[in-house]
Amino acid sequence: MKRVQFEHSAVPYLFIAPQILIISIFFLWPAAQALYQSFLLEDAFGLSSQFVWFRNFEDVLSSSSWTRSAIFTVVFSVLVSVLSIAISLFLAVRADEVIRGAKTYKTLLMWGYAIAPPVAGLLGNMMFNPLMGDLYKAFNSFGFEFNHIQNANDAAFVVILIAVWKQVSVNFIFFLSGLQGIPKSVQEAATLDCKSPERRFWTITFPLLAPTTFFLLVINLTYAFFETFGIIDVSTKGAPGGSTATLVYKVYVDGFLGADMGGSAAQSVLLMIMVSVLTVFQFRFIERKVHY
Amino acid sequence: MATVTLNQAQKTYPNGFKAIHGIDLKIEDGEFTVLVGPSGCGKSTLLRMIAGLESISDGEISIDDKVVNKIAPADRDIAMVFQNYALYPHMNNYDNMAYGLKNRGFSKAEIDTKVREAARILQLDDHLERKPRQLSGGQRQRVAMGRAIVRQPKVFLFDEPLSNLDAKLRVDMRLEIKNLQQRLGITSVYVTHDQVEAMTLADRLIVMNGGIAEQIGSPIDIYEKPASQFVAGFIGSPAMNFLKGKVSDDKKHVTVGDGVMLDLDHDVEAGREVTVGIRPEHLDLLQDGKGRINAPVRMVESLGAETLVYLDFGANADNVTLRLQGTHQFAKGDQLSLSVPANKIHLFDIDSGKRL
Repeated sequence: MKRVQFEHSAVPYLFIAPQILIISIFFLWPAAQALYQSFLLEDAFGLSSQFVWFRNFEDVLSSSSWTRSAIFTVVFSVLVSVLSIAISLFLAVRADEVIRGAKTYKTLLMWGYAIAPPVAGLLGNMMFNPLMGDLYKAFNSFGFEFNHIQNANDAAFVVILIAVWKQVSVNFIFFLSGLQGIPKSVQEAATLDCKSPERRFWTITFPLLAPTTFFLLVINLTYAFFETFGIIDVSTKGAPGGSTATLVYKVYVDGFLGADMGGSAAQSVLLMIMVSVLTVFQFRFIERKVHY
Repeated sequence: MATVTLNQAQKTYPNGFKAIHGIDLKIEDGEFTVLVGPSGCGKSTLLRMIAGLESISDGEISIDDKVVNKIAPADRDIAMVFQNYALYPHMNNYDNMAYGLKNRGFSKAEIDTKVREAARILQLDDHLERKPRQLSGGQRQRVAMGRAIVRQPKVFLFDEPLSNLDAKLRVDMRLEIKNLQQRLGITSVYVTHDQVEAMTLADRLIVMNGGIAEQIGSPIDIYEKPASQFVAGFIGSPAMNFLKGKVSDDKKHVTVGDGVMLDLDHDVEAGREVTVGIRPEHLDLLQDGKGRINAPVRMVESLGAETLVYLDFGANADNVTLRLQGTHQFAKGDQLSLSVPANKIHLFDIDSGKRL
């Protein structure tokens, strides 16, 4: 890496000051607050508190509900990311080949992007409503004993389905622009060198899309970790029995509904550490391999 | 070793635009054919039709007497060099060259021999492990050539391969391509808009205009006997001078400008209006001032080895370009006296532009 050294003056700091201010108010301050709170034991009304060192963390880590939520979060995030990336890649490749009516086709595929996660959750809720939901009825009429209100796997399926559906359009846009960024002549050269379209895809197109895929992997994991809150809150609310509660949702449930501020803060600190580790891992080990 | 035959090959795009109006052509085994023409004349489209990157709307294209209209590009046994190199950016140069061979099921050892041989010919030995982006434009173009020659295809197709290179490199690569093609003896089709490339490389030149082949012939034939005013203006630099003229009653002269009579050696009916074409290098400067054409100098361009003089000719001050060997000192307004041998005068039909 080449680095250019400039004369030091106050001006650059002035330019980044607004950004620093925003980060400080909306991230550093609350994070510090959470860190401090995770060492406190508070009564339910927030009237008195006691410094308890790592007891909140011990409680969290030894609780079976947290472990279950952590496992669900990992499975959920991996499935949502992989499925939404795979589906949108498939759609983007197909859409890229369409010549007639391409614009309409692409616009329709992007529409989902405009839908907020809670609205997606609401739509899912309606489709899986046991009384009038079309998908609920459809699954049951096919002979599945589908019941997401009682069955944890079915509930997980519902949440993953909605989360993936919501994310596909975002990924689709990025993949489509990534595909259009591949020079036409490179693809034509490949047509002369390789007869099989599948092989061409895996040896030329996919490696050239690797930087896009990596970027989307980071974005999608973050999405699955944090932004699916709205979907879960509107559709299953973590039911049945907390089996579809991601760690973020559990932080909210324990802290704001269960009024266990210390425990909730400890969970959010753990979550922060997990995400940091994940991010460092992604950029350290994966990013190097995807750029050409 | 192969021949390429085009039988009324046509291309019509879905929007109704007809890019190629039906071309008949037989490219002999080992021949270097150059397609030349202005932008949008259909030369690249025709090349891409041979490659299989564009479908053929009508007519047939055959390689070695086998119609390839419906054959996939990879199965036509052709290799193409693109204008912007079109190397695979994520592969190193070795893999770029080996890719086509791998997909055709060659063994690792065979691939290695072929790639190293091509690299040796193109002086790329030291760059095989690098990625294309680490090479200069000329080296990248060489890798692209290497990718074409390792396959030992029946036909080489070149789509303006030198356009992205700087002037000096272009001359070097031009010689290299000619050399390589002669050594390998592979039938080649080369597209360019650069007439110097066209003249120097071609065994046979095809001048295209508006989707038709205006003239097919050896470069010198085309230079000496252009079939139309378009070809005459396109081949040769600086471009041929065109003047309006009228054939005299005795058919021995043609009148141009303000009654200037030029000797004629053609069989054209008396009194016919024609376009007279004279190449800048065929005008002779007379020191005694007794030439038929007399005109003042408008501008001079000295190139060292030659001098280009632009003259205002006749009442309409038509531009006439004169090309002289060596250096000359002229000032604006100097009167020059010129003559032109009768056998260097070209006549074209005033409407159709066809050679008379």
